[in-house]
Amino acid sequence: MRSPRSTFELVCRLAAFGVLGWLLGGSVMSSPTRRLERASTSGIAGRVAAWTRSPPNVRLHADLTTAPDPWIVDWLAALGHSGHGVTWSGSPPAVAMGTEAVADPRGSVRVDVAAPAHTRVVLRDSASVVDSVRVSELGATIMTPLVVGDLVADVGAQRVVASAPDSAPLRSIVVVGDASWEGKFIVSALEERGWPVVARFHVAPNVDVTQGTPLVLDTNRIAAVVAIDTSVQSLGSALEHFVHEGGGLVLAGAASSASAVVSLTPGSVGARTRVVLGPADTIGLGTTGFYPVTALKSDGVILDRRPSGIAVAARRIGAGRVVQIGYDDSWRWRMAGGPGSEVAYRDWWSRVIASVAYLPGSLPRGAVTQSASAPLAHLTERLGPARPVSADRLPSAPIDQRILLGLIMIFLLMEWSSRRLRGLK
Amino acid sequence: MTSEFVFATAQYESGDWDSAPLLPANIIDTIARYTEITVAPTGVVVPLSDDRMLRYPLLYLTGHLPVRFNEAERRNVKRFVDRGGLLFIDDHNHDIDGTFHKTATEEIARTIAPLAELPNDHPLYSAFFKFDGPPTTSHELNGWGDNLVHKHLLAVQRAGKIAVLFSNKDYSSEWSYHPESKRFLTVDNTRFAVNLVVYALTA
Repeated sequence: MRSPRSTFELVCRLAAFGVLGWLLGGSVMSSPTRRLERASTSGIAGRVAAWTRSPPNVRLHADLTTAPDPWIVDWLAALGHSGHGVTWSGSPPAVAMGTEAVADPRGSVRVDVAAPAHTRVVLRDSASVVDSVRVSELGATIMTPLVVGDLVADVGAQRVVASAPDSAPLRSIVVVGDASWEGKFIVSALEERGWPVVARFHVAPNVDVTQGTPLVLDTNRIAAVVAIDTSVQSLGSALEHFVHEGGGLVLAGAASSASAVVSLTPGSVGARTRVVLGPADTIGLGTTGFYPVTALKSDGVILDRRPSGIAVAARRIGAGRVVQIGYDDSWRWRMAGGPGSEVAYRDWWSRVIASVAYLPGSLPRGAVTQSASAPLAHLTERLGPARPVSADRLPSAPIDQRILLGLIMIFLLMEWSSRRLRGLK
Repeated sequence: MTSEFVFATAQYESGDWDSAPLLPANIIDTIARYTEITVAPTGVVVPLSDDRMLRYPLLYLTGHLPVRFNEAERRNVKRFVDRGGLLFIDDHNHDIDGTFHKTATEEIARTIAPLAELPNDHPLYSAFFKFDGPPTTSHELNGWGDNLVHKHLLAVQRAGKIAVLFSNKDYSSEWSYHPESKRFLTVDNTRFAVNLVVYALTA
């Protein structure tokens, strides 16, 4: 019968071999239980490289307060494709940014930022801060005349990046109508803004006064046509073709009643409202003559409404856009309005033109991909929706192999010490 | 239909602004006769000191006496020109040494900018009828005034467009007659007024 000491030595030896066998077995057969590794927003950039070296049975989970940079998301997606289980949880803010060149001689860029309500958006380019705005509903729009490099919007801790678009090539604006103050001052406003203008004003039978080189209606040369009155009739079917090809059309005052544009108008022309002009400082847009837009077509969109009716409506025709403006005699606003009215008048007409002017498709001039301008969308697209991992469902942490090796050493050392104390080798 | 063209005569405090009372009706007749421009059948008189002068982007100003704008007139004239109006001033004395010429040109220089000769190939002279320069009037050599045929009009231009047009031709005398009397003329001497109005409405 074995002595207790010999039994102890046997147990130590068996324990050492048992642990060794476990280690060997574990290295040959993968464990059916998957290990989970987690990282937070701040630490994930430094963990993805280590995760890449981990065995495929390691599950990876990101706890996110903001959407990570696109390269991290792409890396995690690649890890998912290589056999790792990759999940994420958290509530990164839903932020996205889009940029669009505006048809404007000043090269304006329209920046639309979608962000949660009541958040503050700080927009900057490579040179400086462009603007900041507090979101009231779903997002904000910022117009900026010049962009240096890429545009970056910071919404809290979330950052989105978008490339600035190439500026729109400048094409001419055609203004047609009878000789009148309305036509004269629209031309002046557009020229002061920097548009090349081709004007044709009817003066007398067979006598038109032209300004600029007369052009055929072609989107390669002309961005938009502004019709002051029914003399737009003289452009005939070429106008409809021009709009279908992408050209813009602005129908001011009674111009929408010309038969040549009836198929293009967003609505019909109502009875003109004449307004008694008040003191100079009270004259503004809408306080002069007014033709309300009536019988709005099903695809017409109301852009401006006054108590006396629809003031501005728009409609898409083919690739082009048509805006019908009820305001008439808008020149009075410029000439006889309050301080700054000439600038307001110029800006208003510039915006009207920019809203319809032909804009050829252009690529962003920067290398920023769409993934950086909508990070949460990119994250969801690549990794799927958020899937929280609760703590009680986590598997127990694996035992460190160094501890097991230490145990083997201890068992063998105890056996060896016991035998030496008994005088055995 | 947009608003009609209204011929407006400028009333100013210092001088005889109403020295050519028949001119407006004659010019209105001329515009209606040659063009399809919708023109109001009667003209208006508008004080330069009144903001209502801004409702008439073409203003006609004449007289024999010194022109000294008061503060309100000066402010409004500057505003008028800054916003794109065209002020047509005609020296009823047709005298470059006369009091009207001296004071009016000084006043324009003070209020807007100094006047300069308008080239005779300016678009004004081809806006409707073709002229080689400002048409001569029968009054320039009538023994009054400076007895000169003035070869150029004077102007202040803004962005290539006439903002103030100054004449020593005495169109105020030349055009101030009843429209019915045009039938006695071999060539209508008011035709240049059509160019002036068409230019103002289209340039």
